[in-house]
Amino acid sequence: MRVLLVEDDAALADAIARALRAEAFAVDVADNGEDGGHLGATEIYDVAVLDLGLPKRDGLSVLADWRIGGRTLPVLILTARDGWSDKVLGFKAGADDYLVKPFRVEELVMRLRALVRRAAGHAASVISCGPLAFDAATGQFQIDGLPLKLTAFEWRVLSALMLRKDAVVERLDLLERVYEGDADVDSNSLEVIIGRLRRKVGASLIETVRGLGYRLTAGA
Amino acid sequence: MRVLPKSLSGRLLATAAMTTVVALVLAAFAIGHVLEHFVMNGLDERLDAQIAIVSRAVGADGTLDVSKAIDLPPFDQPGSGWAWEVIGPVSRLRSVSLEGVDLALPRGRGRQFDRDDDGDSRTHERPRRLEGRDAQGRVIHYRFVALSTLRGDAIVLAGGPRAIVDRPLRAAMLPLLASVFLLAGFLALALVVQLRIGLRPLSALRQRVADVRAGRIRHIHVEEPTELLPLVDELNALIDANERALTRARGHVANLAHGLKTPLATLKLDLAQRKGDIDGTLKAQVERMEGQIRHHLGRARAAEAGGAVMRLSLIPRINDLSAALTRIYADRPIEQQLDVDARVEAYCDPQDLDEILGNLLDNAWQHARAMVRIRARIAGRMVDISIDDDGPGLSSDRIVDLNMRRRLDEQATGNGFGIAIVRELAELHGGMLALGRSDLGGLSAVLSLPGRVG
Repeated sequence: MRVLLVEDDAALADAIARALRAEAFAVDVADNGEDGGHLGATEIYDVAVLDLGLPKRDGLSVLADWRIGGRTLPVLILTARDGWSDKVLGFKAGADDYLVKPFRVEELVMRLRALVRRAAGHAASVISCGPLAFDAATGQFQIDGLPLKLTAFEWRVLSALMLRKDAVVERLDLLERVYEGDADVDSNSLEVIIGRLRRKVGASLIETVRGLGYRLTAGA
Repeated sequence: MRVLPKSLSGRLLATAAMTTVVALVLAAFAIGHVLEHFVMNGLDERLDAQIAIVSRAVGADGTLDVSKAIDLPPFDQPGSGWAWEVIGPVSRLRSVSLEGVDLALPRGRGRQFDRDDDGDSRTHERPRRLEGRDAQGRVIHYRFVALSTLRGDAIVLAGGPRAIVDRPLRAAMLPLLASVFLLAGFLALALVVQLRIGLRPLSALRQRVADVRAGRIRHIHVEEPTELLPLVDELNALIDANERALTRARGHVANLAHGLKTPLATLKLDLAQRKGDIDGTLKAQVERMEGQIRHHLGRARAAEAGGAVMRLSLIPRINDLSAALTRIYADRPIEQQLDVDARVEAYCDPQDLDEILGNLLDNAWQHARAMVRIRARIAGRMVDISIDDDGPGLSSDRIVDLNMRRRLDEQATGNGFGIAIVRELAELHGGMLALGRSDLGGLSAVLSLPGRVG
C-alpha cells in the first residue's frame, strides 16, 4: 500500500511517515500543495493524507482538482480545523475521511486501511482467498488460521493482490504500489518477492498472467 | 440638577409645553388688556361728551353760565356715582347728582390739574384721566380738562363709577379663560399627535436594529426621514465592521488551533514511537494539553458565537452533515430518517448551526445501532429539532447530569464536553437543548432554536 502524505510541517510529516512505514506502508511525502497536487494527479497511490493549510496551494483546491481530473483515490483530510463547517467543506470537496489533529497514530492507520479496503470494493474488513485471510483493519494475514509473517515489501505486494483478488494486477501497477517514489526499482526484484510469497502461501494461489501481471485466486 | 427630561419625547413635550403656556399666558394678558382698554374708552367717551357739554358753560372771562350746563342722565341722579364739576377761577358748578357737595378728589395732588406743556391751545386740549373715590368710597374714574379763561384756568371734571368698567371685564374674563384653556387643550393634543408621528421612525428604526440582532435582516434599509439616514449609514457600517472583526477573530482562533495542534500531533506520534516515556507520564501530559486546547477553543468558539445570525434553511445543512457522517461512519450502514419540512428555517450563525447539529448528529451516528431519526417541528417562534438514535442510550442519572445547567467553564474536559458546547451555543442563540430517552431506545436530543416556516 502506497500513501501520499501532503503535510507542510516537517516534524509531523516525518513522524507520520515513520509510523506508517512501521505498519508496512510505502510513503511519499510532499511538503506543499503544488507538489502534492502534482504527485496525486500523476502517480498511483492507494490513499492520500492531505493537510488543508498548505503553502503554495490550499489542500481543498488540491483535492477538488484531483476530483475534477477524475482521480478517485481515497483521501483522508488531516487538519487542525475541527469545526463541522470545515468538515462539511472537506467532504464536499471530495474527501473520504476527516481526522483532526492531534490524533492517535493507531486511529490514522486504521482509517487509512479502511479507506483502501472500501476503495477496492470490500465491505467487510476480513477478505479471504482459499486458505489465505487478510484482516484489513489490523493488516494481519493468516494462512490456514495461523499468522503469516511477511516483510514490508511482501506485505505490500500480497495486500495489493488480495484487495484485487481474482483480478489481474498489472506489473507496473504493482510496482507503483510497492515502491516509494524515490526508491531505486530493480525490475527483477518483483519476481523475487513473488517467488518468496509463493513459498509462504502456496504456489497455486498466485498466478502469473503472461505479458500482463499477476492474479491472486483460490482457483476456478 | 437636570432641567430637561431624559427621553426625547419628554424633552419635546417639556419645551413645547413651556413655550405654549408662556404664549397662552401672554395672549390672555394681551387680550384682557385690549378688552379693558376698549371698555375704558367707552367710559371715557361718555365722560368726554359730558365734559364737552359742560365746557360750554365756561365763559371766556372765567364766568360760569349755569343755564348752559345741562345735566343729562345719569348725571342728574344722586348716589349713582356719575357726577361732574366745573372749578372756575371765581365760582363752581356741580352736577345735580352731587347735591351741592364738592367732588372728593384725591388729596395732596395740587399739581394734578397742571397743563401739559404742549396743551396751551384751548381747542387742542384733550381730557386726561384721574382715579379717585367718591363720598361712598366707590372708585370713580374721572376725566378732566383745563380751559383757559381770562382770569385763569377753569377745570372741567366728569366722573363715572369704575364698577361699570369692571363688570363687563369680569363677565368677559370667564369665556376668555375658557377659550384659552380650550386652546391649550387643543395644542396639547396636537403636540401629542405630533410627537407620535414625529417619533415613529425612531421606534421603527429600533425594530430594524432588533431585526438585525436577531438575524432576520442583515442591514438596515430606511428611505426616510432624511434626518435618520446618516445614523442608518453609520449603523450599517458598524454592522459590517462587526462582521469583519468576527471573521478576523475566528481566523485568529483557527490559526491558534492549527499552530498548537500540529506540534502537539508530532509530539504525540514521537511519544508513541519512542521508548523514552516508560511510565506514560509524558503521554498523559500531552493528552492534558490536548484537552486544554480543545476546551479553550470550544470556549472561544462559544464566546464569539452568535455573530452573523441569519435565516438558515435546515434541510441543506442536515444533508451536508449527513453526507459527511455517511463517509465518517462508512463501515456502519445506518439508516437516517429525515422528517423535516423543506421550508423550516432557523435563525442562527451558519458555523454555529453546523457545530450544534454536527455534534448532535455525530453523537447519534456514533451510538446508533441501525437508525438515526431527525424531526423538526415549528412550535410558535421556535423550531424544535429532535435527533434520536436506537443505540443503548444513557442512564437516567447521566441524562439528569447532562441536562443540569452546568456552564462550559465549569465542565471538565471529557465526555459531556460536546453536549456542553452544543447547549451553550444553542442558548447563545436564544435556544435550548434537552436530552431524554428516545422511543427508538437510545438517546433523544431535542434542540430548540428561534425559527419559522419560510
